[in-house]
Amino acid sequence: MAAKYDFGIDPPGMNAAGSLGFAPGRAAGAAWPALGAFVTNPISLSPRTPSQGTRCLPFAGGFLLHTGYPNPGLKAVLRQYAAAWSRSPLPVIVHILAQSPQENAQMARQVETLDNVIAIELGLAPGVSPAEARALTQAVCGETSVIVRMPFELALELAPGVIEAGAAAVSLGAPRGALPGPDGKIVEGRLFGPAVFPLALQRLRSLAGRGLPVIGAGGLVSPAQAQAMLEAGATALQYDSVLWA
Amino acid sequence: MPTYPARVREICLNAQGQPQAWVDCPPAAVPAAGQYGRARSLPGAVLAQPLFPAAFQTGGFLAAAPLPETWLPGLQFTLNTPQGHGFALPASARRVALAALSGAPDRLLPLVGQALGSGADVVLFCDAAPGGLPSQVEISPLKQLAENLPWADFLALDLLLEQSETLGARLGLSAGHFLPCPGQALVFTPMPCSGLAACGACAVRLRRGWKLACSDGPVFHLGELL
Repeated sequence: MAAKYDFGIDPPGMNAAGSLGFAPGRAAGAAWPALGAFVTNPISLSPRTPSQGTRCLPFAGGFLLHTGYPNPGLKAVLRQYAAAWSRSPLPVIVHILAQSPQENAQMARQVETLDNVIAIELGLAPGVSPAEARALTQAVCGETSVIVRMPFELALELAPGVIEAGAAAVSLGAPRGALPGPDGKIVEGRLFGPAVFPLALQRLRSLAGRGLPVIGAGGLVSPAQAQAMLEAGATALQYDSVLWA
Repeated sequence: MPTYPARVREICLNAQGQPQAWVDCPPAAVPAAGQYGRARSLPGAVLAQPLFPAAFQTGGFLAAAPLPETWLPGLQFTLNTPQGHGFALPASARRVALAALSGAPDRLLPLVGQALGSGADVVLFCDAAPGGLPSQVEISPLKQLAENLPWADFLALDLLLEQSETLGARLGLSAGHFLPCPGQALVFTPMPCSGLAACGACAVRLRRGWKLACSDGPVFHLGELL
């Protein structure tokens, strides 16, 4: 049974996980985009260290990131930021990285009752199977709404199953790509920047066309592009690199 | 975070032929040596551009290379309050060694005036000497840095992130041997979020864990890196 999409955000915009840190307040305060919610950096149960080697590579129209989602682990994050979340003028969506269903259930139970946390976003890893995606979604669903961030390439395959498993909406993760690094070695990672927008809009149209609740994301750099995603059926939007420009 | 209007007054080339820019801005937006400003609202830019000072003038500073080749005089943008931790040259330093392991001495040059102003001797170790240095500054090839370390009572480095893992060897320090003087290093690396997100792209491994160049650095004590 699909959960009701009940975490209305006004304005219907938020930062993408990983774009503004673990707690609100570090954004530069630009007039656009306006945010109606704050999404935390990705959080794992245990601490994660940064990836080795080249982590950022520019290309025409964007850049590739391969960071390994470093974070101090849920316990440290809660100790350091839960109070800031409760004081935040923006409602908070906590992004947790998919691990095992047991670990993700443990994380969700610690987060879902915190003050001012209106939803959990579950970030699925690239290559996750439909059965794994459903099991992870079911493990996280509980007392608060759940958004599941899709691996971009698998979104059409996974989204119906995670909505059926209880997610309130799906969001689009960054597409993945590969570039040669300074030493010639190939670096794989997530792609950001305006070059991503045409791909993201097309994927959003496909998902929304199936009647799925989708949070649009990917390469948004202008109000016109945001409007295009909303008109294509996005229930809300996530902004990433434009917040860094 | 306060922002300030800024404008490129002039483009010039450094010793390696790379463009650097004289930037006009309010005094509050001028970064100190080793700090960086975050140039935003750049037409067509995907990310903000970190600007490190190479020199200062009333009403602005010289932004060190590398800069986008599309920058032209008259370009307008906004600058945030200077970010990061810069160099802190001890007032007691009398023999200051500056070394551009990255190949680009420009980001070290603001220390030259500070050191000379406090009466210190300055040696710049680099393989492409910048023009216009005061005559009191001695220039030495980078390969002579290790053998001259005992002379210095303060060492300031500019290095690439990937060089930080082998810094001890680059300074000629064998296992168990320590730097003979205190020092600091500017770790130069892409900082895509410029401290907004703790995205981890600029993470530096120190003796006691990971730190971010964008917010914890980009200048670190050498004792933390070695």
